[in-house]
Amino acid sequence: MKKKGRGLSTIMFGFGYGEGFPDYSKASIEIKDDGGLLIRTAAADVGQGVQTVVTQIAAEVLNTHTSKFSIVEGDTHTTQNSGSTSATRQTYFTGNAVKNAAQDLLGKIYFYASKEFGTNYPEMEVEEGYAFPVGEKDEKLSFREIAYRAGESGKDLKGEGTFYPETYDFDENGQSPKTYVAYTFMTQIFEVEVDTDTGLVEVLDVKTALDLGKAINPKNVEGQIEGGTTQGIGMALMEEQVIEDGITLNPNMTGYVVPTAMDVPNFESRLIENSDSEGPYGAKGIGEPVIIGASPGIANAIYDAVGVRITDLPITPEKILAALKE
Amino acid sequence: MLKNPHEYVGHDVIKVDAESKTTGEAVYPNDIYFDDMLYARVKRATHPHAYLKKLDISKAEAVPDVVTVITAEDYPDLNNFGLILKDQPVLVGIDEKMRFMGDALAIVVAETREAARKGVSLIETEVEELEVISNPIRAMEEDSPIIHKEKNMYDSNIPKRNIARSNNLIKGDIDKGFAEADLIVENEYTTQHLEQLPLQNESGVGYYDSIDDQIKLWVASQWIHDSQADIAQSLGVDKDKVRIIQPAIGGAFGKKEDISVHIHLALATLETGKPVKMAYSREESMIAQSKRHPLIIKMKTGVKNNGKLTALEVEVIGDTGAYASSGPAVIHKGLFHSTGPYEIENIKGKSYTVYTNNTYGGAMRGFGATQMGFAYDSQMDIIAHKLGMDPLEFRYKNAFEKGSETATGQILNRSVNVKETLAEAKEMMEDKEGQK
Repeated sequence: MKKKGRGLSTIMFGFGYGEGFPDYSKASIEIKDDGGLLIRTAAADVGQGVQTVVTQIAAEVLNTHTSKFSIVEGDTHTTQNSGSTSATRQTYFTGNAVKNAAQDLLGKIYFYASKEFGTNYPEMEVEEGYAFPVGEKDEKLSFREIAYRAGESGKDLKGEGTFYPETYDFDENGQSPKTYVAYTFMTQIFEVEVDTDTGLVEVLDVKTALDLGKAINPKNVEGQIEGGTTQGIGMALMEEQVIEDGITLNPNMTGYVVPTAMDVPNFESRLIENSDSEGPYGAKGIGEPVIIGASPGIANAIYDAVGVRITDLPITPEKILAALKE
Repeated sequence: MLKNPHEYVGHDVIKVDAESKTTGEAVYPNDIYFDDMLYARVKRATHPHAYLKKLDISKAEAVPDVVTVITAEDYPDLNNFGLILKDQPVLVGIDEKMRFMGDALAIVVAETREAARKGVSLIETEVEELEVISNPIRAMEEDSPIIHKEKNMYDSNIPKRNIARSNNLIKGDIDKGFAEADLIVENEYTTQHLEQLPLQNESGVGYYDSIDDQIKLWVASQWIHDSQADIAQSLGVDKDKVRIIQPAIGGAFGKKEDISVHIHLALATLETGKPVKMAYSREESMIAQSKRHPLIIKMKTGVKNNGKLTALEVEVIGDTGAYASSGPAVIHKGLFHSTGPYEIENIKGKSYTVYTNNTYGGAMRGFGATQMGFAYDSQMDIIAHKLGMDPLEFRYKNAFEKGSETATGQILNRSVNVKETLAEAKEMMEDKEGQK
């Protein structure tokens, strides 16, 4: 017999390395010879979209279309430390570093352009790679030209930014007045169907309410919620590297079962945007939090459906059938 | 609702790398070729816990197209590497220990992949077997063999065995907390070894550029500057001599924080003077690179009949396998998240990061807080049902709000919208019921 159930989970994640570990990001923005803008950061993009996020942020600050920006891949000898792509930190840390670099560049553009125009600094505007006195677009000078003129007087027109928030190490009782830079919260509701004959669990529907400060790119956030939750479904129901006496028994994708497209439930996600964090435009990190809710939420939904409580992951059909028998 | 005042922020801008990744233009580490490139492959441990007594590479060296076979004997001055503790050897030497099936015994460098593979298969070993410890509880027992000899790999405050680190989480008065409780709920939660399973296995190309005097490595890494520092200290060279050039990466999920092919590639190119490529098989990747730590979480929670949480006692045992990697940080991050987003005044917690002979545990999405989430939010549901309270209302009653203090003593004064997530979820649930 198939029985439906619904389960809830509410989770938190303190992000950034925190705990007093020196955790910072550096970034720079240069004006290229063709007038385009080049963002340098060592932040690794593992598909989560940090390169897109920082491009959006720089475009916002410099009021110039994202297509005018390019971004280099990390190189220890040509980019500075942007910390790791881990700890849910890149949007918050490198996002802020790039925002600071873009603002640094904007300030310099205003400074040199106002000299050229004889305007009161900073009564300037920028748009699509040009600077001009407020309201006088016809007078515009390109960023490239401003950089060239600044270069003639020996000045390098380049924006640099660092973001280095403080946290504090914990004492012998694990106490620290600022353990992590910030916390992301999420509530999810899982609807499952449990087959009491086979023990198979199907996740039908997931509703997510994510406290993320601000979505820099809402579609990418939804992608993270759906991908992270699906990875969490793997943890909850099927994945396990079986190691017996030090030997892995299933070191392959035949024996190590992960969710496929057929296991992906329906999603409905709401993003709670209070823009109230110290991240860029109020954004918080979401990469790791979105995997956490699945295993408790699904365990709770299975209990709701068939009244058995499994406390050992993964919740395989065998475990459900054995518990149903008791 | 306010109109989005921004032009680019808050908009669904198409990913900047979407085109290169969709068309196949993006260059991943395994896509990189040089004309005179060699291929390297690693001979792995033959037993999960044993002394290497003899290593015979003569048959491998005799394979046509095998250029060289590198062992610890060739590089006696290499330093161990590791993210937190430098406990992982680059190559296991004679009379040294292999501690898990992923330990490297030799590197075969050849003109072709096939010759490298054949060379590896012909390397013979003799070992002195030791007890294999696969269970962290066994590892902590008094008569268990000690996995690492070096004292500094252990927490000096803990008399138990094989504990890399232990941490406390203590706040308020735990006895008072349980005395105030009307109901006490105790459960044990266990989680499994998980594989991050990025599609791209560990791979890369190394080339010693004698003109620049740089060891150039094209390897996917989540933190190139940290990897650079670890590689340089292991080889005993200046950081500037090691250059990591990041190709397109692909998924990582924590697995590409650790050193994998990096140092072996550096040795192979230094030894041959030629560019060398290395790519793990899926099997090798799963056995030799980090896993999500399995945790044993014992949780005892006190609560009043009105639903107010009063006390939490928690013990966390994390199996970090043969090497620490991120383990000490992962396990205590789990402990530090043990209340979840709920306010509890009285807490007593302890965590242990334990060495075993399993594949080592490292970073994976959520870093200990994921395993802990399974425990605390299963526990919350169990308690709600025992109290006869609605699980959502019970969570709402205890959830953090502005001014709340976390388990680690941090006052939350910005961006604390956990109650809003509960309210929004409730609304979504009611919307759905309204449609039925």
